[in-house]
Amino acid sequence: MEEFEPKIVAFCCHFCAYSAADLAGSMRLQYAPNIRIVEMPCSGTIDHRVLLKALEDGADGVFVAGCMEGDCHFLKGNYRAKRRVSHVKDLLRAIGLEPERLEMYNLSAAMGPRFAEIANEMTARVKGLGPSPFRKQTGGDA
Amino acid sequence: MSSDKTGAVMVVGAGIAGIQASLDLAESGYYVYLVERSSAIGGTMPMLDKTFPTNDCSMCILSPKLVDAGRHRNIKVVTLAEVREVAGEAGDFSVTLGVQPRYVDPDKCKSCGECADACPQDVPDAYNQGLSERKAVFKLYAQAFPNAYTVDKENCLDCGACVDACQADAIDHGMEGETLRVQVGSIIMAPGFTAFDPKALEYYGYGRLPNVVTSLEFERILSASGPYAGHLKRPSDGREPQKIAWIQCVGSRNRRIEHGYCSSVCCMYAVKEAVIAKEHSAAGLDTTIFFMDMRTYGKGFEKYYNRARDENGVRFVRSRIYEVRPGAEDAERLLIRYGDEQGVLRYEEFDMVVLSVGMEPAADAVTLARKMGLPLNQYNFLEPAPLSGVATAKPGIYVAGAFAGPRDIPETVTQASAAVGESGLLLAEARGTMVSEREFPPERDVAGEQARIGVFVCNCGINIGSVVNVPEVVEYARKLPNVVLAEGNLYSCSQDSLVAMGEAIAANKLNRVVVASCSPRTHRPLFQETLREANLNPELFEMTNIRDQCSWVHQAEKVKATAKARDLVRMAVAKAALREPVRRVSVPVTKAALVVGGGVAGLTSALTLAGQGYQVHLVEKENSLGGLAMRFSEGLRGEDTGSCLREMIAGVESHPLITVYTGREIAGVAGYVGNVVTTLTDGREIRHGVTVLATGGEAYSPTEYLYGRDGRILTNLELDEKLAELAGAKTFVFIQCVGSREPGRPYCSRVCCSNSVKTALKLKKEDPGRQVFILYRDVRTYGILEELYEEARRSGVIFVRYDVDDKPVVSLEDGRLKVTVTEPVLGDRLVIDADILSLAAAIKPAAANTRLSQLFKVPLNEDGFFLEAHLKLRPVDFASDGVFMAGVAHAPKNLEENIAQAKAAAGRACTILAKDRLESHGVVAVVDPAKCAACLTCVRLCPYNAPRIADYAATIEAVLCQGCGTCAGECPNKAITLQSYNDKTFVASVDGLFTEVS
Amino acid sequence: MIVAEQKPLAEIAGMIGDCRKVLFAGCAGCVTVCLSGGEKETEVMATALRMKRQLEGNPLETVTYTATRQCDPEYVDAMADVVKGVDAVVSLACGVGPQYLAARYPDLWVIPAQNTTFAGGSKEHGVWEEFCGLCGQCVLHLTGGICPVIRCSKSILNGPCGGSQYGKCEIGKDVECAWHLIYERLKRLDRLDLMRQYREPKDWSKARDGGPRKVTREDVMIG
Repeated sequence: MEEFEPKIVAFCCHFCAYSAADLAGSMRLQYAPNIRIVEMPCSGTIDHRVLLKALEDGADGVFVAGCMEGDCHFLKGNYRAKRRVSHVKDLLRAIGLEPERLEMYNLSAAMGPRFAEIANEMTARVKGLGPSPFRKQTGGDA
Repeated sequence: MSSDKTGAVMVVGAGIAGIQASLDLAESGYYVYLVERSSAIGGTMPMLDKTFPTNDCSMCILSPKLVDAGRHRNIKVVTLAEVREVAGEAGDFSVTLGVQPRYVDPDKCKSCGECADACPQDVPDAYNQGLSERKAVFKLYAQAFPNAYTVDKENCLDCGACVDACQADAIDHGMEGETLRVQVGSIIMAPGFTAFDPKALEYYGYGRLPNVVTSLEFERILSASGPYAGHLKRPSDGREPQKIAWIQCVGSRNRRIEHGYCSSVCCMYAVKEAVIAKEHSAAGLDTTIFFMDMRTYGKGFEKYYNRARDENGVRFVRSRIYEVRPGAEDAERLLIRYGDEQGVLRYEEFDMVVLSVGMEPAADAVTLARKMGLPLNQYNFLEPAPLSGVATAKPGIYVAGAFAGPRDIPETVTQASAAVGESGLLLAEARGTMVSEREFPPERDVAGEQARIGVFVCNCGINIGSVVNVPEVVEYARKLPNVVLAEGNLYSCSQDSLVAMGEAIAANKLNRVVVASCSPRTHRPLFQETLREANLNPELFEMTNIRDQCSWVHQAEKVKATAKARDLVRMAVAKAALREPVRRVSVPVTKAALVVGGGVAGLTSALTLAGQGYQVHLVEKENSLGGLAMRFSEGLRGEDTGSCLREMIAGVESHPLITVYTGREIAGVAGYVGNVVTTLTDGREIRHGVTVLATGGEAYSPTEYLYGRDGRILTNLELDEKLAELAGAKTFVFIQCVGSREPGRPYCSRVCCSNSVKTALKLKKEDPGRQVFILYRDVRTYGILEELYEEARRSGVIFVRYDVDDKPVVSLEDGRLKVTVTEPVLGDRLVIDADILSLAAAIKPAAANTRLSQLFKVPLNEDGFFLEAHLKLRPVDFASDGVFMAGVAHAPKNLEENIAQAKAAAGRACTILAKDRLESHGVVAVVDPAKCAACLTCVRLCPYNAPRIADYAATIEAVLCQGCGTCAGECPNKAITLQSYNDKTFVASVDGLFTEVS
Repeated sequence: MIVAEQKPLAEIAGMIGDCRKVLFAGCAGCVTVCLSGGEKETEVMATALRMKRQLEGNPLETVTYTATRQCDPEYVDAMADVVKGVDAVVSLACGVGPQYLAARYPDLWVIPAQNTTFAGGSKEHGVWEEFCGLCGQCVLHLTGGICPVIRCSKSILNGPCGGSQYGKCEIGKDVECAWHLIYERLKRLDRLDLMRQYREPKDWSKARDGGPRKVTREDVMIG
């Protein structure tokens, strides 16, 4: 059987996490090809519904990445994101899906290596959990 | 309008001062030449890891400004350039610039780095302080603007490998330098500083002992993008240090090497580096800072210092360093020989030593200043003219940043905006004469049309194409819903591709465009312009990054990278279909300012604004103007403050554009940036576009040291007023930090040390026979003011340090005024019979601040001073647009600094007043009032005060909204959506990812 | 506003265990303002339960709809289309909503998603407090604007009991003694005379004790 290649959706804030992902590219840091980034102006934009929907659609993992705490370009958005992620994790627990499939990360625009690390960390974690039970049967490409 | 003056300004130096000045100028209607000697803008700030006192990532906060300055239509960035000659005079200078060839065409360069990979020549990377290597063809740093490589000819082998490697034909070793001549009305000198080279001080072992590093090297070591990728290592063997020492005042406060000034920033950055280093270390790093006086005098600094000591466990040792030498047993370690405060010789070993190196003026800046005929001080700093904040000896030439004397980032940014305010006084009549706005054809109405998407997939030379199978992705894109056209490009961003894209939009009636290439951070505006030229709204564009976030990071996994690129394109197409046009909202601007507070800061702001032709309403709660400074006899450096103030007051009172309302306060505030109606306590209504809060401070009335019990016990302010009557007094004692740096008022009042030292010197000068004692905790005569301290010691003023747990004791016995203090060197009690005791009483925030903070909906910090939008980069702005602060309202500061900040507030305010209409910031949050329950969630959540409830539903002021979408994420009835980034688009994108297309 | 708190997800799941298609009905009134039953919460709940059922191998089809209010017949009438074909409706309104739905759609199985808690207001964002006891005979003009019925733990109407200490109620040190507050406020208003007045016994028949209540206003009635 083909190795399980998870698909992980990453909601990244424009100013920090998305920039860090760009920097990882500039630095040619090689990381797992399983991350699909969705850019957003601020992690504070993320809604509970969108996180749930991504998991329901079949994402094997989802993470939200915002600026470092205290560093939000929009002052407080990342704190709101953190609370929402934590609430959705509670919901996942309640419905019987591993809350570890969802995570919140904080990183700065200068943290290219950390982005690569997060990508690998999350991929390894999700591989450990196995495919999402919501995953539709598709070709095994990542 | 004709004018003899030129509506352009040259800014010399593109560090944070130059960038801030350029942005403010360009936003105020002036064309800017931003001249930088290196190959990219940014200066020193990009090298820093974190910044104090917020521990913000330096690059995170700077990079949006880099992008703004780099892309601004009215800022011409000239890199690799030096100023050769300046002729003419204020209002009309001709400047000759010598520009070195870059050997890379920045318009063609895609910043892919293939050239550097091919280059055989390694060169120590100066950006990383020589701790790593770069190639002879290089980019200064990843986020640099111009986003292009440069050939370092000095180290180039001329082998041609880079030319062969470059797919974009961007490299041309035959490029020649050029001479540019530009006409400008004024010049802002912001060339920054260089870090002191500690090799000159051999006893620190720098250069000989590899584990002795400078603080700037340490910043790079800590930085995630630095030579060790953010892993804490020592240079000699790459091992993680367990114990690090910082040595303060290296190259500062040192008269022997003619560095008699304090570099102002080193105490704070050393504390910060120690705290951050601890965060980097898993094993519990041991950190020690060897210092003379801990100078944490800025806003929020004292608390940071306290936290570092009490919570983070950073050790502080008051000492003199004699030598750093190899460890006794392990030569990789370092032995510090030092004298403690009692003069006892001590030894201690460390794994690493960081030298807190000071600032000095850059040699080429000194040369340039001399050439321009600008007199420098004895250390070669271009100190501003007294009580001007920014003026030089030459009209029309201003100074900002560390070249004006050592200062931190917020003061640098403040001074940059101040220089803009001052420049505006000279050039107001030429405002808007040299700037231009780009005209675009009218937008096509796409409402009701079925989505017709065009997809352009970039090869980026071989950057994408060599990893991702671009033809396959293009083929795949053609099958996606709503896609009517998909094409591959060699470079989607090249001029011919952009032209072809525009033609394709017209020919295929495309109403949405997707580009799969590099980062939207750098390229989205470029493609959006192409859409606008092709009659489409720029928000009908979607971009996905298959280079930085795909081909570059999955180089060995071509199949998986291609699959990922397909996914990303599918997601982008799904999202693009839901894109809707966004029209910017604009509001007219009332070209008038309200200045609250008639002290030095308020007067200065009022004059700076009125001098540029704007109506000013100045409100002062007292019955006369002048504020607390009316009680000063002179400035810290002997400036004649009295006549300066009288001149200001007369200027304000006689100015035709300034209306003064004394004896009145603010009663009500309505409206928002551009259009505010403020009501005064007498019922009068004032219409204005911007507000400057310059409420000043209040003198603390001490409850300690028997103040008020005896006529000989005064505050410094009272002493200053009574000085003339005290000719007969022989023994003076000053006690510092009275009411400051205490649990109830934990901040440093910043000016008291310099103030006491200045008065002490004056007393000594009047009568050298006098005994003057200053009882202090740390002497905080920062920057050039250190000279005062030096001079005071030389003239015999006696400085005695006291401990906060063992404060001086004041007693009255038989009519004698006795001050008892423990002398730390001898450990003995020193009893002084004082004729006069002067208390350096704290500066308190104005009592009115609390009410004003509610009226203007702007925050106060824990100490009661106004809280700026960002401690580092927005020192005079509030988070809510259109409200600014100046002077002690922000934090305690001296007169010179007050004036600078007041001019800065005016400079910032002009970026709004210069515009006829204010536009919203692109995408904003919008409310569907039919769904709104007026629950107040958005009102309570928004840091910018953009939402309010009107007619039973929330409404969001588009010009105040910054577009973060936090309200949309939280709205319980989903009545709020963020344009272009709403939940539907996110869900569409995710749905797209998991909807396979065959 | 009426403040309500969502029931645990598992409890709601249990109530719809045998349904295949369920309507989740939010309310844009009070429960939106107290952040428990607006469109957002409605969709989050529907998605979460749908996912739960999917995981259990017993897929659930969901429909969501948020009514302007679930306490007016017209708004409930407007749901006629969305209730078609569902096995049950989960109402995220206060306790009024499920009853309106049940009355209007007699064949519909109606499930409350909320525990309706009290009439109150927000103290800060995310914190709500009870203020009104819905007693039907308001005495706030006599008590300095502080309701003894609901804010006094014992609903005493004529002064504090012996359990008042240092301004706190004996039931817990975080609970303010309402009568202490009333005293302080009347003192501040110089109306302590009100404390000395004899009061008629309260007519509790106007409260819940008199059975279900009804308010009628002839002047606004139509037709």
